[in-house]
Amino acid sequence: MPAQPSKLARDIFEAQIDFEGQKLVELIATFLLIVVGALSFIAGYILQDIKLSLYGGLGGTALTFLIVVPAWPFYNKNPVKWLPAGYAAELAANKGIQ
Amino acid sequence: MHNSLTRIQNTFGFFTTVAFVVAALIAVTDFITPRTPSTGLISPTNVQVVKGRPHYYSSKKEEYAIIKFSLDADLSSLFTWNTKQLFVYVTAEWPGNKNDTNEAVIWDSIITNPSADHLQNIGPVAMKKLKRSAEGKTIDPSRGLLKLRNQKPKYQITHPSGKIAEKENVILKLHYNVQPWVGVLSWNQDQDIGPWKKLAGGVSEKFTLPALKNKNKGKDSQAKRKTPQN
Repeated sequence: MPAQPSKLARDIFEAQIDFEGQKLVELIATFLLIVVGALSFIAGYILQDIKLSLYGGLGGTALTFLIVVPAWPFYNKNPVKWLPAGYAAELAANKGIQ
Repeated sequence: MHNSLTRIQNTFGFFTTVAFVVAALIAVTDFITPRTPSTGLISPTNVQVVKGRPHYYSSKKEEYAIIKFSLDADLSSLFTWNTKQLFVYVTAEWPGNKNDTNEAVIWDSIITNPSADHLQNIGPVAMKKLKRSAEGKTIDPSRGLLKLRNQKPKYQITHPSGKIAEKENVILKLHYNVQPWVGVLSWNQDQDIGPWKKLAGGVSEKFTLPALKNKNKGKDSQAKRKTPQN
């Protein structure tokens, strides 16, 4: 799709995803962070190890970032279907005739 | 969440919320963990009062009490996953002129939990030994078992008046201060608060400081000292 290399770089950096992907990513990020927080607390309390809580929480969060931030293909499964170019003008013209 | 930057911002923002909640939960576990500190023995073993100077160039002579003591204490229940370190100190207390009480620290110690060993301000050899003593352990309650015999005081004490010999009704008291990783700082209590029991014992019998020992004149002038507030 991208015509120039600069546009390609921008697309990779911005990593845009479709609307369904946005809904999904929000859900995944929230769920993962809560689960990571809960697990690190429970594991730390049971094993009486606060460092496990700290590094477990940080590691889990890093993993969440890895899953959430890049535009993985499954976030782009429902691309927006645009109408063909000039469709509206054509429609208007047809209306005029009728 | 349509591009990477918003996703980073939103995820990080929610991460801070989760981190705060987890930290709050950790702090709360302190309040449901029982604390049952006790002392088996606290008593002076050898007490001296000598004359000395507050610092090397001072012309003022003051009396200093050197109180050696023995202490048995079980503070092991204070070590939980959220304990960073325990500050333990022994004070001498004696009544003042009116209704006031003089109080001076004679000895103190920092006991770290294994999770905070790297913060202890000690040399590399001692540090290695300390870390090895807790290898594989995340908490080490046995460090809360204190057994001191005829312990030399860290601080020789005096009074603003410079007079401390022959003071009567002196007691030694054990105090502690639990410093958590997250949560409230807490001291030894005089009454039970929920599962936190008061420090059982912790006060010595009353004793009298001896008369001034004349021969040791100025010998200890460069040692560390603490002066009580009143």
